[in-house]
Amino acid sequence: MSLRLQIILLVFLGIGLAVVVNMVRKRILELKYVLVWLFADLVLVILVLFPSLIKGITRILGIQSTMNMIFFLGFLLSLVIIFTLTVAISKVTAEVRRMSQTIAMLDKKLLEAGSENTDQ
Amino acid sequence: MKKLCIIPAFNESESIVKTVQNINEFAPDFDVIVINDSSKDNTLDICRENNIPVLDLPINLGIGGAVQTGYLYALKNGYEIAVQMDGDGQHDARYLGMMEKTLCEKNADMVIGSRFIKKEGFQTSSIRRVGIGIFRFLSKFLFGKEITDATSGMRMSNKRTIELFVKDYPRDYPEPETVCRLLRKHFKVVEVPVMMRERESGVSSISMRKSVYYMVKVTLAILIERMR
Repeated sequence: MSLRLQIILLVFLGIGLAVVVNMVRKRILELKYVLVWLFADLVLVILVLFPSLIKGITRILGIQSTMNMIFFLGFLLSLVIIFTLTVAISKVTAEVRRMSQTIAMLDKKLLEAGSENTDQ
Repeated sequence: MKKLCIIPAFNESESIVKTVQNINEFAPDFDVIVINDSSKDNTLDICRENNIPVLDLPINLGIGGAVQTGYLYALKNGYEIAVQMDGDGQHDARYLGMMEKTLCEKNADMVIGSRFIKKEGFQTSSIRRVGIGIFRFLSKFLFGKEITDATSGMRMSNKRTIELFVKDYPRDYPEPETVCRLLRKHFKVVEVPVMMRERESGVSSISMRKSVYYMVKVTLAILIERMR
């Protein structure tokens, strides 16, 4: 990996990290869902700084250059992030459904209580 | 002055009645509100049977969301002091009078019941004390005030703090983060010595498996709090 590429990647990863942390700071993002982004960013920073760390795996997998391995890892980490989002969305969907059901029942109770009062 | 005791409860059917009786006996001037965070056991039924006021959350919000519900209830109903206590019988209402006195006399915004000032009573496991020690260091180093028991769930707030908590409260593992937020905003936080019991039933929200995640997340949250 050329030094120039290393620097460019580090700059990008650094900007990415700063943007994400800043958005948590401003309460736009929830830290819980950001942890996986921070983890991915950190892994890539370490690998860009020390490409020799993954030379072994690169050779075993038969990948030609370390650079490709880093892109491949980035892709895998993106998949992990997308998957955690799918999990999070599924949970939110279930929660919204339960909340609507609860509100519907409350609404009925309130209406009934209201009509009882007018009857008297 | 209206005073409220907030008890977040998740699967606390075995200890919730005892907890509330303890409050009614030793701090009868405090109203009680239990926040049932979608318990899977019959916590809700037991509260209703025993005429314990309860807010029943239709979905599980986590400890942070549950406690914040209590603070919102306190604000909407004009309470001037709110104290939160765990529903598992760890905390003793005998200390509430003393905490209230400290809150008023020292003009504090929050009074925390700390296990580690006098080092009496149940001292939790050694591995957890390491975590608490890290928060102790972080609070001192980043915010200039040492908090001996930042994870304590026994804490009393005045109106100003209640308002702040209603605006924003972390979802899970909120205790150390919220203390640091108060320190950053130069709210006055005072710790008083209390003894805690070992939990009578139920399980902690933080299992061994989750403890690494807990430390990483809370430490990051505190660092980001410093940057706000």
